[in-house]
Amino acid sequence: MKTSAASTRMGEHSLAIDTSAGTTVAVLSMGTVLAELNYLEPMTHSERIGSAIQKVLNDAGLKPRQIGTVVAGVGPGPFTGLRVGLAAARYFAIGAGAELVSVCSLDSIALDFYQANPNAKNLVVTTDARRKEVFWAAYSGVINGIPQRTHGPSVNKQEDIANFIDLASHESTELGVRAGALGQIAFAQGLTPQGRNKDITPIYLREPDAVPSKGKKVSG
Amino acid sequence: MSIVIKQATVLDLPEIMKLETASFANDAWPEETFRSELAAKHTFYILALEGEELVGYAGLSKLPGSDQADIQTIAVREDKRGLGIGRLLMNTLTQQATDLDAKEIFLEVRADNSVAQKLYKLFGFKQIGTRKKYYQPDGVDAFIMKTDLKLKKNKEPIVLGIETSCDETGVGIVRGNTLLANIISSSMDKHAIFGGVVPEIAARAHLEALTPVLDEALEKANLTLDDIDAIAVTNGPGLAGALMVGVGAAKALSVATGKPIYAVNHLVGHVGADILDRGELQTPTIALLVSGGHTSLLLVRDLLNDVELLGETIDDAAGEAFDKVARVLGLSYPGGPEIDRVAKEGNPAAIRFPRGLTLPKDMEKHRYDFSFSGLKTAVARHVELAESKNEEFSIADVAASFREAVVDVLIKKAVSACKDFGVPRLLLGGGVVANARLREVAKEQCEANGIELRIPPFSLCTDNGAMIAILGAQLIMAGRAPSSLDFSAESTLPVTTVQS
Repeated sequence: MKTSAASTRMGEHSLAIDTSAGTTVAVLSMGTVLAELNYLEPMTHSERIGSAIQKVLNDAGLKPRQIGTVVAGVGPGPFTGLRVGLAAARYFAIGAGAELVSVCSLDSIALDFYQANPNAKNLVVTTDARRKEVFWAAYSGVINGIPQRTHGPSVNKQEDIANFIDLASHESTELGVRAGALGQIAFAQGLTPQGRNKDITPIYLREPDAVPSKGKKVSG
Repeated sequence: MSIVIKQATVLDLPEIMKLETASFANDAWPEETFRSELAAKHTFYILALEGEELVGYAGLSKLPGSDQADIQTIAVREDKRGLGIGRLLMNTLTQQATDLDAKEIFLEVRADNSVAQKLYKLFGFKQIGTRKKYYQPDGVDAFIMKTDLKLKKNKEPIVLGIETSCDETGVGIVRGNTLLANIISSSMDKHAIFGGVVPEIAARAHLEALTPVLDEALEKANLTLDDIDAIAVTNGPGLAGALMVGVGAAKALSVATGKPIYAVNHLVGHVGADILDRGELQTPTIALLVSGGHTSLLLVRDLLNDVELLGETIDDAAGEAFDKVARVLGLSYPGGPEIDRVAKEGNPAAIRFPRGLTLPKDMEKHRYDFSFSGLKTAVARHVELAESKNEEFSIADVAASFREAVVDVLIKKAVSACKDFGVPRLLLGGGVVANARLREVAKEQCEANGIELRIPPFSLCTDNGAMIAILGAQLIMAGRAPSSLDFSAESTLPVTTVQS
């Protein structure tokens, strides 16, 4: 019942949310960005997320129930922030009766890069993973609006990426994640036979770093 | 400080006038004006009394047939400001306006009185106009403020509560003071091999559990999201990364459904849980909240307006101590039930383990605080010493003696708080309440001291969404405005901040 209602609206209007770096949200109609908001600071996701969604909806002149699809950026990114956007995406979708799909956050950077550099060939996207490591993915270009990922997403030391790809043949970029681009990729994926990724599990790439210990002695 | 709110009569006029002239230097009402206000049929004046002393008053006017009410005046004695007396008075007036079927309340406030404006905003008042030079002879403008009582007309709001402050993902639904659903998903099993809650694991589990727990709660209550009047969410205290999952979800749900959101205090929620059990919270009460994350002793004079932290643990929480000692004894996680099980066969007087912060010098500075770190170390030393000498020792005796030490301190300090403050009630909350010995000693000690003991059912004592929903419902029924969407998750939120 919910599915058929959503599918009639599918693609018309979507809300994209990503908190893998800063907080970025966008409202799109048929793959065109109507409103977008980007907060770059990496620590204020849970404060910003509610008002940010409300603002882009207002700016786009849409009511929540007019949103047919919620596009969630599933990372990779620092976990605590990343989860805020995914929690918000899940509950917004339930509240608005919308469908939920996911896009790898790094793909949005690739899309923006290729749109700005249409003649570029290979690209490597890296973002800060803390602990002297980076999240990264490599791309060969964009086909039908979808960045073609050739490696990743992975987490490695910056200098170890060369073990996986030929860095000399890959360009790099300073661009950041943008919700509008995520929404465009999700829209493009909806037009392909592979369809859209409905698994919105975060891409953590690292296990929680707790180690079972036997307990230490308190007396010498 | 204990404040009683009582209706005013003309007999109170002399005392009121003393405070009136002291509070409003240049624009106090003449005595005759106040006399006719008090005598009028369409007005409702209340006093705030501390013992016999008048420390504040306020008045409401509501003409029959009109659906508008006006706040006529409010004053709190200068030395008693900032203690929540203004909120108590406003609470009573907005409730009275609701009972009289008013839909809106108006008031005027001096443009230069930002403290009063802040109080009114707490009750949803917004500025709708300005009267130039209204206050004479000072020539100060008046702001006209108004609040809508639309939601407050709903005497029994349906509230959905979301709790993610530690390792339980909880969604609860209440209608007024009635429990409709209380669904909890715990990640406890995932922490077992680590012997304690791992914040990252808890936060991951919250995200996974959000949707199924919400679905199940709605199904249990036989409601859809359209039926919900408001959303309440824990924004602290607790684990930051865990709190943020619930906060992010709740805000998005609020925007998606257009329902107002209330950010509430987790610990005060534990106190509110008693309402779910017996339909009301009797105050004043001492509350002892004991879990894996908290060990807090509260004095609750009023759930929404006057909660005071008397003391808390200065190191480990009591539940944490149970977990750590369980590991020392080779028992599994969570430690509380395991120690309870083993201790049954043991002698609680076998070993005299230290009682933290109970020595006279500690009692001066830390009368209501707790410390369990030294106790945990003492148990570990005891066990290690026996092991190093290859001596047999009774795990049952160690478990029973350790448990006795924890329970002894918890209940002694709680009972002495009851006695010190003359409060004849003790409410227990938090997961450690499951401990059989804790309940037993609490019962004995309360009976011996003429204290009424309240222990809600375990599903309401452990972290849950229903207690968050019930606290949200109390705020709504008291006429509180929703929280702004910009509140943050605050891991150290003080107990005095009931709503953010």
